[in-house]
Amino acid sequence: MTSYRITGGRVIDPANPSLPERRDLGVRDGRLVDLHPNEPVDETIDATGSVVMAGGIDLHTHIGGGKMNLARLLLPEDHRRGLEAAALPDNLLEVASCGSCAPGTLATGYRYVQMGYTSAFEPAMVASNARQAHLEMGDIPILDHGAYVMLGNDELFLRLLAEGADFERVRDYVGWTIHASKALGVKVVNPGGISAFKFNQRKLDVDEAHTHWQVTPRHIVHTLARAITELGLAHPLHIHASNLGVAGNIASTLATIEALGGLRAHLTHVQFHAYGTEGPMKFSSAAQQLAEAVNANKNVSIDVGQIMFGQTVTASGDTMRQIANAGHATPRKWNGGDIECDAGCGVVPFRYREQSYVNALQWAIGLELFLLVDDPWRIVLTTDHPNGGPFTSYPHLIRLLMDKSFRDEQLSKLHPDVAANAALKSMKRELTLQEIAIMTRAAPARLLGLADRGHLATGAAADIAVYREDANAEVMFTEPTHVFKDGVLVAQRGRIVAVPQPGVHFAKVDFDAGIERHLADRLRATSSIDLRNRVIGHDELCSCCNGGRLLPAECHAAFGATSA
Amino acid sequence: MTALSSPTPATAPPWTCPFCSLHCDSLALRPQDDGSWALDGTDCPRALAGLAQVPSRAVTGTPLVNDRPATLDEALDAAAALLRGRQAPLVGGWATDILGARALFRLTAALGAVGDHAHGEALTTALRAQQDRGGYTTTLAEVRERADLVLCVGSQPSAHYPEFFRRCAAGEPVNGAPRRIVFLGAPVDAALPATITQSLPLAGDLFDTLSLLEALVAKRPVRNAPEALAALAQQLRDAHYPVLVVETGALPAHGALVIEAVARLVNLMNLTGRAAVISLGGSDGGYSAQQAHTWLSGLPLRTRFGPAGMDHDPVRHSTARLLGQQEADALVWVASITPEDAVPETAVPRVVFGHPALPVPTGDVVFIPVATPGIGAGGQLYRSDGTVIVPLHPVIDQALPALPAVVDGLLQRLKDAVRAPGRPKPDRIPPGDRSMYPSNEGHESP
Repeated sequence: MTSYRITGGRVIDPANPSLPERRDLGVRDGRLVDLHPNEPVDETIDATGSVVMAGGIDLHTHIGGGKMNLARLLLPEDHRRGLEAAALPDNLLEVASCGSCAPGTLATGYRYVQMGYTSAFEPAMVASNARQAHLEMGDIPILDHGAYVMLGNDELFLRLLAEGADFERVRDYVGWTIHASKALGVKVVNPGGISAFKFNQRKLDVDEAHTHWQVTPRHIVHTLARAITELGLAHPLHIHASNLGVAGNIASTLATIEALGGLRAHLTHVQFHAYGTEGPMKFSSAAQQLAEAVNANKNVSIDVGQIMFGQTVTASGDTMRQIANAGHATPRKWNGGDIECDAGCGVVPFRYREQSYVNALQWAIGLELFLLVDDPWRIVLTTDHPNGGPFTSYPHLIRLLMDKSFRDEQLSKLHPDVAANAALKSMKRELTLQEIAIMTRAAPARLLGLADRGHLATGAAADIAVYREDANAEVMFTEPTHVFKDGVLVAQRGRIVAVPQPGVHFAKVDFDAGIERHLADRLRATSSIDLRNRVIGHDELCSCCNGGRLLPAECHAAFGATSA
Repeated sequence: MTALSSPTPATAPPWTCPFCSLHCDSLALRPQDDGSWALDGTDCPRALAGLAQVPSRAVTGTPLVNDRPATLDEALDAAAALLRGRQAPLVGGWATDILGARALFRLTAALGAVGDHAHGEALTTALRAQQDRGGYTTTLAEVRERADLVLCVGSQPSAHYPEFFRRCAAGEPVNGAPRRIVFLGAPVDAALPATITQSLPLAGDLFDTLSLLEALVAKRPVRNAPEALAALAQQLRDAHYPVLVVETGALPAHGALVIEAVARLVNLMNLTGRAAVISLGGSDGGYSAQQAHTWLSGLPLRTRFGPAGMDHDPVRHSTARLLGQQEADALVWVASITPEDAVPETAVPRVVFGHPALPVPTGDVVFIPVATPGIGAGGQLYRSDGTVIVPLHPVIDQALPALPAVVDGLLQRLKDAVRAPGRPKPDRIPPGDRSMYPSNEGHESP
């Protein structure tokens, strides 16, 4: 394996504040190593005039699983240039793959790596569709990956809650599901709402009962958060809260935080959950209220789900909310699905328009959240790809956050009421490189428990991006001069130069294995997959990810550590 | 079939049947000494027919090159020679599992070819409805647990998918009440209790009937509506979770319009209540091929990786058309699941990766027998509901290579040929030839 010395760059490594910014990095056998100044290396990279960061980590991006493939099947127009066919790659290392808001898996890998990202995580894996998620992610070149399995809308979980089952049983069932689906974390989407929609319930507030099971989202959220805590998963419960996209949903978002009772959780794409009902349109920014709650509740982390103007496709497990939005589909077609007494799926193409009051305000709300949350370690940069916009818009988003004059210029082009009145207009904060590095690599690594990623200390995995410094952050972050994945130079000035097979992160969770026997009849009753085929073994996982590395994460179980 | 002679060990994985897209996965299958099989858990005629065509012991599958036996290496060399320099190859069949489909995608892209499945017409029918309208779908467990009215649109599902009604427990009550199973334009399945089934004639053709039904469900004024159809509309309105069953391969010409009509009807019902569609199709690896091709490239099958780019055209790039109009100059045909997916008749040279019992045409043909997924090879297949993937557990060693290994061998030869001395260097490969250069295997920079 080639060894490297990266010299002369400014090392932006917020996880290691004691290390000097001006330092050389040594890379050998996939790791960062201490090199004696005279020690020979195969190649020296002159990073003078550049910023050196750990590889980017996207902790919430829809990159694998049935709904993204439905989106691809739904939108052949996303894979053309007007009436022209999509171009074949001009790089012999790339295999033909195309698309912008719903790119093929191969294109997904190439585009992420070209921006300096080296890991990405699928947040909405359906347990009964987990094989597809792992297969698709396994076909994303270069990027390490993992997924959070969805719970809290599966009939078995809801039945256990409805029956008042012992918490330990519920916890072990959560553990079994993580084990069976080879998940890294657990996500709850519209707690109880996807299931409720199967019973034709159209709305579910945090303290409202599911029409059939009579359990509330509050109960579901707290139970899952407690189970995740006791199972010792590094990543806390990942929450897509109730009432996504609904004016006034700030109330349910705040109630969800309260429902945690101090337990850790990660609230995702909060831009879609920070809406008030003020003003003539009865739709207003509640970014201030949400940011205050995040600042006050140290147990909570968030990612933003910034929207970007233009065509995209929304892909979500939240059938209850997606069917409510289906009338806005652009182009006018959409997919929905009820899945295996387990989950749901809704795919609605959408175009965010600058002249739409609602879209313009959504854009402002996202940016306000970035600027109002004090602690960058608890806020992660996402567009909820592709729901707010494709991940390829990250460099543009970074410029909006780092450059007030550019931000103001963009704001002035939007719907006049938003341009004139948004609180964003008066916000002077410009994020620093340190803060961007935290939000795009150091914080997500920490929130996922990836101890050797997201930083550049000796011993860390050599996932590195070298960006040429530029006054225009969008230019700077679009095309790093060098990207290393586990010590292999994989991209140079936007060109893919090697295509190593990535690894898959999953939690090695400890639970009472007797739960499978105990729940066998019920597991059979809520699935049409033979129970013996429910667990994805290591061999099958390895085959799904094309022989990539299995990266099991130890959990530190703390049974009984939380109160009921 | 003989009876089970010994109990299945508790640790043995269940057998997943690869022979139709329901992929029943609670079965037990064991080889018998006489070369037959002992199948426990079903008497499904499709499973039995599939098993009857594959012996339960290793087969002496010999590759053939122009009708003469050859070693695997000789056959792969011949296949590479046959395909090299072709301008418009077609990779057809795709009757394999997901791992096979992944490999075939790379071959298709590398050859600059078009990919199309043996059941490409039925897949395209479903695809075009998806591309034009989308839809609202459901899966087997939802049907079993929730569907109080199952409406079979235009066909009797169990005729081609014998285990369908058993898989959704159609004969059993749902939430304490009996289910209704209605066959629209098809006879009832006599195996179901007569008290819950009903057959309704079409009112005109299938398209007319569905339009009429939609109008009736929407309570739009309809003159002279057939009473039975009006009653069905009322049943649909009253049901908690009506599920419409559509068999894409059994639809008439322009079947995409039927699927769209069904999707419209379901969307209408979902405005105030709940409803969904379950589709039956995608056997012989059809959905696996469609899905894997789509996630890898962004586009479905019937895409040409030609000099002009990735050109997706669900009509122009059909196997029948490309071969019939002499627009393909070589054919790779993959039929590894059953010998029924016959190699198309054509004058162009063919490379066939197939089931050991596949009839091999004579002439300019390279044939390599490959292991049968679910018999001699593991893997994974999509179920007909398009959401669930079931794992395949090999039962015997067929002494045949699995398809991905064979395709990799072919890709390696095509790559070596491009890199061999005397060939242009990669950066100077003429555009038409570029796609011959497969990639993505390199872990180091060139």
